[in-house]
Amino acid sequence: MKKHLYILFIAAVGMLTACKKAGLDRFPQTSISPNLFFNTESDLSLYVNGLLSQPDRNTYLNDQSTDNVATTAAVEVKNIMAGNANAQNITTGWSWSRLRNINYFLENYGKAQVSAAVKNHYAGLARYYRAEFYLDKVKRFSDVPWYSGTLEPGDEELYKARDPRTLIADSIMADLDFAYKNVRESVPVGTPGKWAVATLYARAALYEGTYRKYHNELNLSSSANTFLETAARISGEIIAGKKFSIYNTGKPEQDYGTLFSSQDLTANSEVILVNIFDLSKSKSQNVNSTVFGDYEQAPAKDLLQTYLMKDGSRFTDVANYAQLGFVAEFKNRDPRMSQTMVYPGWIRVPDPTAYIQRLNKNFTGYHQLKGYVNSTDNAILNGVDFPVYRYAEVLLTYAEALAELGTLSQIQLDQSVNLLRKRAGLPDLNLATANANPDPALQLQYPNVTANAGVILEIRRERRVEYAFENMRFDDLMRWKVGKLLTKSPEGMFFAGLGKYDLTGDGVDDIILIDRTATIPGEDQKEKNSLGVKLIYYRAGLIGTDATVYLKNGNTGGNIVTENATRNFEEPKFYYRPIPQQQVILNPKLKQIFGW
Amino acid sequence: MILSASGFAQGIAIKGTVSDAKTGETIPAVNITVKGTNLHIATNSSGVYALSGIKPDAILIFSYIGYKQQEIAVNGRTKIDVSLSPDFANLDEVMVVGFGTKKKINVAGAIDQISGKQLESRPVTNVLQGLQGISPGLNITYAGGAPGSVPNINIRGYTSINGGSPLIVIDGIPATSNDDMLRLTPSDITSFTILRDAASAAIYGARAAFGVILITTKQGVAGNNVISYNTFQSWAKPTLLPKPVTDPYIFSRVLETSTDNTPWDYVNYNDEYYRWAKERSDNPSIADTRLNPTDPTKWAYMGSNDWYNYFFNNSSLSKSHTLTFSGGATVNEKPLTYYLSADYSRDNGLNKLTADYWDRYGLRSKVGFSPLSWLKVDNNLNIYQTKRALPNGNITDLYYLMPTDVAKNPDGTWANTAAGKLAAKLVDGGNNLQNMFGFQNITSATALFLKGDLQVNADASFKRELWKTHNDSKKYKIGYGPNDIREEGGNGSVTENNGYLYNNAFNVYSTYKKTLGDHFFSAMVGFNSEDYSYSTVNASKDVLISSSLPYLSLTSGTATASAGYSAYATNSAFSRLNYTYKNRYILEATGRYDGSSRFPIDRRWGFFPSASLAWITSAEDFFKPLLSTVSTFKLRSSFGDLGNQNVGDFGYIQSLVPGTSGYLIGGNGQNQVINGAPGLNVDPQTYTWERVSTLNMGTDIGLLNDKLSFTFDYYIRDTKGMLTAGQELPGVLGTGVPRQNSADLRTKGWELSVTYRDRFDLGSKPFSFDAKVFLADSKAKITRFKNDQNLFSNYREGQVLGEIWGLQNDGVFRSKAEIAALDESALIPWGALSIVEGWPKYVDLDGNKKIEKGLSSNDPKDLKIIGNSSDRYTIGANLNMDWGGFDLSVFLQGVLKRDFYPHHYLFWGPYQQPYANVYPWNLDFYRGAADSPEQRAKHSASYIAAGLADANTDSQYPVLQSWLADANYGSGLDIPQTKYLLNGAYLRIKNVSLGYTLPVQWTKKFHVNRLRVFVTGENLYEFSSIKKFIDPEAVNQGPSAWAYPYQRRYAFGLNLDF
Repeated sequence: MKKHLYILFIAAVGMLTACKKAGLDRFPQTSISPNLFFNTESDLSLYVNGLLSQPDRNTYLNDQSTDNVATTAAVEVKNIMAGNANAQNITTGWSWSRLRNINYFLENYGKAQVSAAVKNHYAGLARYYRAEFYLDKVKRFSDVPWYSGTLEPGDEELYKARDPRTLIADSIMADLDFAYKNVRESVPVGTPGKWAVATLYARAALYEGTYRKYHNELNLSSSANTFLETAARISGEIIAGKKFSIYNTGKPEQDYGTLFSSQDLTANSEVILVNIFDLSKSKSQNVNSTVFGDYEQAPAKDLLQTYLMKDGSRFTDVANYAQLGFVAEFKNRDPRMSQTMVYPGWIRVPDPTAYIQRLNKNFTGYHQLKGYVNSTDNAILNGVDFPVYRYAEVLLTYAEALAELGTLSQIQLDQSVNLLRKRAGLPDLNLATANANPDPALQLQYPNVTANAGVILEIRRERRVEYAFENMRFDDLMRWKVGKLLTKSPEGMFFAGLGKYDLTGDGVDDIILIDRTATIPGEDQKEKNSLGVKLIYYRAGLIGTDATVYLKNGNTGGNIVTENATRNFEEPKFYYRPIPQQQVILNPKLKQIFGW
Repeated sequence: MILSASGFAQGIAIKGTVSDAKTGETIPAVNITVKGTNLHIATNSSGVYALSGIKPDAILIFSYIGYKQQEIAVNGRTKIDVSLSPDFANLDEVMVVGFGTKKKINVAGAIDQISGKQLESRPVTNVLQGLQGISPGLNITYAGGAPGSVPNINIRGYTSINGGSPLIVIDGIPATSNDDMLRLTPSDITSFTILRDAASAAIYGARAAFGVILITTKQGVAGNNVISYNTFQSWAKPTLLPKPVTDPYIFSRVLETSTDNTPWDYVNYNDEYYRWAKERSDNPSIADTRLNPTDPTKWAYMGSNDWYNYFFNNSSLSKSHTLTFSGGATVNEKPLTYYLSADYSRDNGLNKLTADYWDRYGLRSKVGFSPLSWLKVDNNLNIYQTKRALPNGNITDLYYLMPTDVAKNPDGTWANTAAGKLAAKLVDGGNNLQNMFGFQNITSATALFLKGDLQVNADASFKRELWKTHNDSKKYKIGYGPNDIREEGGNGSVTENNGYLYNNAFNVYSTYKKTLGDHFFSAMVGFNSEDYSYSTVNASKDVLISSSLPYLSLTSGTATASAGYSAYATNSAFSRLNYTYKNRYILEATGRYDGSSRFPIDRRWGFFPSASLAWITSAEDFFKPLLSTVSTFKLRSSFGDLGNQNVGDFGYIQSLVPGTSGYLIGGNGQNQVINGAPGLNVDPQTYTWERVSTLNMGTDIGLLNDKLSFTFDYYIRDTKGMLTAGQELPGVLGTGVPRQNSADLRTKGWELSVTYRDRFDLGSKPFSFDAKVFLADSKAKITRFKNDQNLFSNYREGQVLGEIWGLQNDGVFRSKAEIAALDESALIPWGALSIVEGWPKYVDLDGNKKIEKGLSSNDPKDLKIIGNSSDRYTIGANLNMDWGGFDLSVFLQGVLKRDFYPHHYLFWGPYQQPYANVYPWNLDFYRGAADSPEQRAKHSASYIAAGLADANTDSQYPVLQSWLADANYGSGLDIPQTKYLLNGAYLRIKNVSLGYTLPVQWTKKFHVNRLRVFVTGENLYEFSSIKKFIDPEAVNQGPSAWAYPYQRRYAFGLNLDF
């Protein structure tokens, strides 16, 4: 009997074990195996849509690295110029995960059972993203390793050296060319199509062309024209395609500003690619508190002085232009200035009266309007669309590329830059006049422009003005090799000295500057202006003293100063960034270049 | 069937009384087992038992905790009175080991058993709170005092770089997560057994690599019917909190000073503000809110608040009620037992403004019966519900509030300050409710054959839980001015998450035991299988139609839905063989073969063996002369090799993860996309178990008739093949490095516990006393890791876990010349602060006139090891005494060595950033020169009195620059350094309880067998140098010690038995 029991027991355990062994597989229910994917067009689209990456309204804050803006933020280039930078503390920009995601698609899309045209459309988009990825890498590091496929841990390729800039640039062009030829024109709104690809294509070519032309440390100037020609050709094709036009309803005082404060840009003729925001669809963004000019950044005087007068003449030709106060310097200017910065008399919702510029230590006194939404309605604040690519850029690229090639004609100028001037209500730019009389102020800024200088400088002015606070300036300064412009500390409003000032343009004083050693009186003792409103008191003094506003000459006036740090732009080193030290330790073949 | 004891039919009836051999008092609830059968009964409240149908040649076993077990042959007698003698070392105590029990003296591993009684007087609503510091090597650390929180549970220190915590087994079935312990009613528990060494834990295989906690719940016994009611009521307040400066003038002036010294001069209070601050500082009775003089449509504030009093409750009420019916009867000469309990507990948080509690409703029904004489069936059903309510806002945000804030405007609206907004968010901003309802039913059968020599067990457990969480966020109103009340907090939203947990577990095992002369053999084989899945459905929708109706259907915005899924299954076969010779040589071997769904098919199975050996030296003849002093001497040793399957459920399966696009594609939201390439989670070629092998050596020594006993264990635990990024790879790989079984770790440690038990007469009444003190230590070191450059960014070979690399402080710079002589520019936070007199100065260890942080231990530059943050020398002490109806227990717990380098606001105040508090210790900052007389005239009396207008060049803290200790950047004072390293050691009086049991002769009149009342205090006091800053346990929360406050509780309660 005992034996029976044992047998029974062992059999029972054995059976249980046997039938359970097969049941140990568990599979995820919230992710999918690659073997079951990449079959249909919808699979390809699901993946490529996941690669979508677009700048948003934070772009309006991205000029902090340039001479357009004074900032209290610790931006990289400021830290570098302060002299404390090395490969150990400059460690950003070496992320490669996006490239892996792109290349993974390019390795797998081919097995889909769809027509070649469909495949090429999606492959084109992936290559467009890859070009964008590598363009950023070239801007930072110049030479970087090129990878066209995903890597595995054992791959020797992980340890390869940098590839030369020429190889990277040619590969970027090849990717963009493929994308331009294969990506469809008609795509879901909010995603890149053929013309968005073309815009990046032209932008990349212009970047590389001008970069090679001006950066003699690369010894690549002989190939600059090839890229400039591509830039001119592609932008010319976009123009010839006539799909887009400058947004101009004949209202120079507001058409330009509309582009940055619209709830819906999807139907705007100027917008080639849009990043859509809509609070009710859970996609919202509000940069009001940072962009306005008293938290982290404020417009610099140098930018204001670049705007022309309304009649097309130069502000810097006005007598005494450097000693004009806030109200005076906004008079009769290019209307885009008042759509980009807060102007005297501007009213901030929901205040009943005009906004009085607030002067804060380390700020310029100017306030940025581009990117600011003058409303308190949450749905409006959060629902403003962002123009990722504007047709204006294509026109500026076209003109600049041709001008740099030396082949720009008045007709081509009329087809491009002058359309922007028309929208702003400015007179046309004349090629011959410009070349005959280059702006001496701009010549000082861009001494390395020689041939065709007059028109090139005016195109650069147009570009700086049209794209102020749209994250174009830093790349421009770099490719034009004028890093030296960054060494000038941004300054602000001009005050002639202590006393009362009108900041709203109504002729009535709003603020009073007293000496920094004086005491601001109590509320009931404060002086009132002719409207019965108390003046706002500031104690003026030199920077670093116990003042509430810093003036260049202390209590005898001058421009507002924002900092007293010295800035040094080392050429050509500071046009490039070091590879993070950790990466060099891991792969010694990654050598630092340009003195890093 | 065949082997059934036919004797039952014609057995005899036996009666008797069990009493204490020394005092003669009768003992209730003594367990009486008829050897070789399933028949158990107990003595009743008068110590009397009655058995019937017993074979005349049967043997009765009498056992009771604290007394030596007795085996008595019936020999045909019908009345057997028994007196039991004390067993001070509890050597006869029956220890629960995996799939069986064992007498303590026969245990060869490192096992500790705690009686559930120990928690009886503790004002704790869950067993986890009670287990802290109760057993050597068991480390329970709470990251904060929020109600219903689950602590980190650990046995024997650092386990693996992938983590790994002990396996919890409740009534023979592995728990699915540590929070299963929250569901248990503390008074339902008979015992906790902690298996620390690998050989003891080995029977549980792959999940037991880092020890096992076995929890056994109570069972009714025939013969002893008891109705118990236990309750307590407690009042809690926060233990220790960092108390900031509340004087508005000192706070404001110091905060401004901190940014004046930086290029970002953000804090600028005007003269008018300071006038008001001074007035309020000099005369706090002046109102703290007024209309803004420059803008009378808005309020202006000048508070002097200690926010802890506003937000925290100082007498937060928690309570617990438990009602139990336990007992059994003999029906047809077979016992029928029952145990029924119902419990309600509320663990209340410290939030004074809004609901913040954790509730449990529990019901347990245990019924046992013998349908056949050789078969016993038990059904153990537990039904439970827990509920956690908390606000949508985070109460720990109060650490950010400035004293100058005000919470409410004079018109009763919430103030336009961070404090007002936090309070508004807590009260009106929405709620979070987490509800869980579940049950677990375990049916067990025990069959005995061959006169009890062969026992076959089977357990089937079914557990299902429904998890339901509701979260809503609502708008709230903030008063900006008397007629300017604005709504804030977005559009409102509702999120509902429903989860379903499914868990089945089966055990089948059989044990054969045989004694042949001096030889005892036992063999056990078994099979176990488990199946687990947890799936969730999540739905949310925004834009509430009405803030007062936060329901999913009453919203008008975007709806989103998602799902979650996790699952695993394991199958195991296991066996244990034991051989004992002459009750003094014990040899045991265990093997377990485990399969887990978490590994690829071809590396799914692992075999994990272990062996242990014990020698009861004191049982040897040669030891006899020593027995009068050394009553017990035992040597033990064990070795085991276990697996750790603590890795992701589907880690080896590469897959594409879908998500929702952050862009409005085609103008529409909620576009499904694929989130890029599959990650290289693991290397599928090699992925398998981590192996953990532990060598344990121990001894048990009993002195003075075992009144004084020592237990000591030493162990070496090797965690091998830890899954980790095999090596650091260049960033161009573009994804995390796939993990391989490529790192090793060694933990060494020891545990010592000393127990003293005694019982004697004091003033003609018996006095009993016992004390248990233990000390444990462990230290872990990485023994293999692929990091050739020894970079600090990863683990390194030879690295002792917890080591703190830092700079050696060398005072402060006192002159421009000193600054020029030593380049500290690499330490400047944000590259922007300037190095001035009063800046911290460090020793230039590498002598290059430059202070730098090295990147690797090969080239640490000016860094060196300045301390270690691991818990060392954990201590626990438990003293109990009992006399004339009074009982007193004192319980201490602590960590005697650890270092802590502080980061963030709670220590650095404005040195972190100028957006929160100033702490009193921050005021001792470097001031190069005294203020001018005209400046002094502006200051408040408090500011002058605090010496803040005077120079202070011999200060504890350096020059007051904001961002100097910024934890977001990791430079300056955020780099660990010798001067500010704190001693995190502490010893805490965890609990003191005093109880009084009313004399039975009084209570009997009311049919009450026992009425005990008690008062108790939890977390009463702490010895620690770090308590000047924070609660010493807040260190467990992390480097910022940003913890929900711990609770000091005072309680009273009663235990009532009928």
